[in-house]
Amino acid sequence: MENSGFYHFVVDHVSQFLSYTAFANLTVGHVVMIGVGLLFIYLAIAKGFEPMLLVPIGFGILVGNIAFAPGYEIGIYEHGSVMNFLYFGVRYGVYPPLIFLGIGAMTDFSALISNPKLILVGAAAQLGIFGAYCLALALGFSPTEAGSIGIIGGADGPTAIFLTSKLAPDLLGAIAVSAYSYMALVPVIQPPIMRLLTTKKERLIRMKPARVVSKKEKIIFAIAGMILTTAIVPSAIPLLGMLFFGNLLKESGVTKRLADTAKGPMIDIVTILIGLTVGASTQATTFLTVKSVGIFVLGALSFAIATIGGVMFVKIFNLFLKEGNKINPLIGNAGVSAVPHSARVSQVVGLQYDKTNHLLMHAMGPNVAGVIGSAVAAGILLSFLA
Amino acid sequence: MRFISFKTIPVFLLMIFTGAGGLHAQSAVDLRINEFLVYNDSNYVDDFGEHSPWIEIFNTAFNTVDIGGLYLTDDLSVPAKYKIAAGQPVTRIPPRSYVVFWADNMPTRGILHLNFSLREGKTIALFDVNGRTLIDSVSIPRTVLRNVTYGRIADGGSAWSNLEKSTPNANNDTSDKVTSGELFMQMDPSGLGMTVIAMSIVFVALALLFLFFKYLVKVIGIDVKKQRQSRAKIRAKTGTQTWAGGDDTAGLELSGELNAAIAMTLYLYSVELHDTENAILTINKVSRTYSPWSSKIYGLNRLPK
Repeated sequence: MENSGFYHFVVDHVSQFLSYTAFANLTVGHVVMIGVGLLFIYLAIAKGFEPMLLVPIGFGILVGNIAFAPGYEIGIYEHGSVMNFLYFGVRYGVYPPLIFLGIGAMTDFSALISNPKLILVGAAAQLGIFGAYCLALALGFSPTEAGSIGIIGGADGPTAIFLTSKLAPDLLGAIAVSAYSYMALVPVIQPPIMRLLTTKKERLIRMKPARVVSKKEKIIFAIAGMILTTAIVPSAIPLLGMLFFGNLLKESGVTKRLADTAKGPMIDIVTILIGLTVGASTQATTFLTVKSVGIFVLGALSFAIATIGGVMFVKIFNLFLKEGNKINPLIGNAGVSAVPHSARVSQVVGLQYDKTNHLLMHAMGPNVAGVIGSAVAAGILLSFLA
Repeated sequence: MRFISFKTIPVFLLMIFTGAGGLHAQSAVDLRINEFLVYNDSNYVDDFGEHSPWIEIFNTAFNTVDIGGLYLTDDLSVPAKYKIAAGQPVTRIPPRSYVVFWADNMPTRGILHLNFSLREGKTIALFDVNGRTLIDSVSIPRTVLRNVTYGRIADGGSAWSNLEKSTPNANNDTSDKVTSGELFMQMDPSGLGMTVIAMSIVFVALALLFLFFKYLVKVIGIDVKKQRQSRAKIRAKTGTQTWAGGDDTAGLELSGELNAAIAMTLYLYSVELHDTENAILTINKVSRTYSPWSSKIYGLNRLPK
């Protein structure tokens, strides 16, 4: 009798333990998401697609989709869990400005300063944000959700996370994963559109080499850039303030240690945290919805519209420029702020038509202007919709 | 050793100037008398279950403000009539939030119970910690309605009225609010308006940068043409060849071919450097000075006796 009681005791506890395991709680959704996580890791390691982003996000997806019994402070959405504490930086928009600080400390704005008209290309490419906003509204998303989806077209992960955390936190996982995925796919999305919209003659346009930019100009850019842009859109202060502050640390020449930290260990730490937690936030139970599918479709369209906006703006702008000052429209795609991937796409496509026409440094101008432009656009959406 | 140099004096002056606000009180200027009830027969009850007159204070700031140490009065000639207890959790008003005081003339009942009551014609006033600086005041109208509160129509706003609903510890404006997102949806369902407005703002912001840097070179005295010419002159003096194109104005302009050629030359040179390494292996005897720290005699593998 006593043995039978002990037997039941053991069986009960073993079955209780088994009910807590991931195998007992596994759903088809979890399996699908684990597959997505593995795909991200494969693309990063085997194909070299944005490994710095896709490895943390991919592994985060695995971490977030190990099924568990709720109520034990394990999941990223469970108050008090360690993952929830780390997710705080995403949920409340802490990480994106820190990433912008690092980006500022590693960005050289010389290309932009030497040829300021390229700044406007960065503005034109923000059409992707608002094009996707319109499409999202048409598909029945609320204005705040549409704004968050639209920002994917800015091709800037931190900006997308920052804005979504304020406007539509429920969509954070889907939008962040979508933004980073399409950033990795810039070399796939943009070239066909660039070829479609340009003539062979336009692709062969040679641009004047950039002039030498003095240290004084670079320092003034960091300060004036911050004041001019944030004065118009104060809601972009967290992003642009940090971006230009990081740039001042770099360009001032007297804060090398701080700049090195901002663009080195600090941005690495924040990238690890943001990547892992964004990945883990894609729990199948909250991520696999019809809305997420819509977000992914609209995300791809927003990148396409942004590319169209940038390339077409250059073509129109060229009508007003003198011969010799014309801009190669192949750098129009770089107006999206996926730095430096989209500028690299300009270079690669340009070289396909003229092996001696190097567009990389020219494309860096609109590319860094795109960073500023998307942050400004995020600020506008925040002030209009929040 | 000098602790303060002359250069740091302006910095200290600036710190004193900006910190001067701190002497005033921690954002006490952001507090407003927001709503009050003079005759309470069937309205909000206090923590003793009694209907008493009450005053609501609203923190208009986006940071927590401690009302402790400030003074409430119903008589402007006696500003320091009731000192609000300091260092109490209840006196710390969260951002955009409220605290309610009971004007029941029963100060022994707690720190939120005042030593005066409300009457028509009196003035409710909030004074700073110094007991002299008036932060906010409101005169009680001669005719007040029983159980109907008198308050600002919008929290912290300037217009006062008898309020439709009593809202102690809550927003005075109880009308249905349309969020700015919903308003955009109503007025601009397609999103076209947003696109036009937002793209215009993005262009204006970046066009400002464009104009600033287009003319910056002139403002800070950098003459690009002169810069190019002077570099061409230097090259002519030192005998270096002009660049592709040859003219002086193209001084700094390197053609793509030239760039590629330079890069290729440098690359080949660096590759060549390692092509002709000799294969002689030199072995030098290294003498090591004795040190007990690295001696095997004291190694851990020696068993204790």
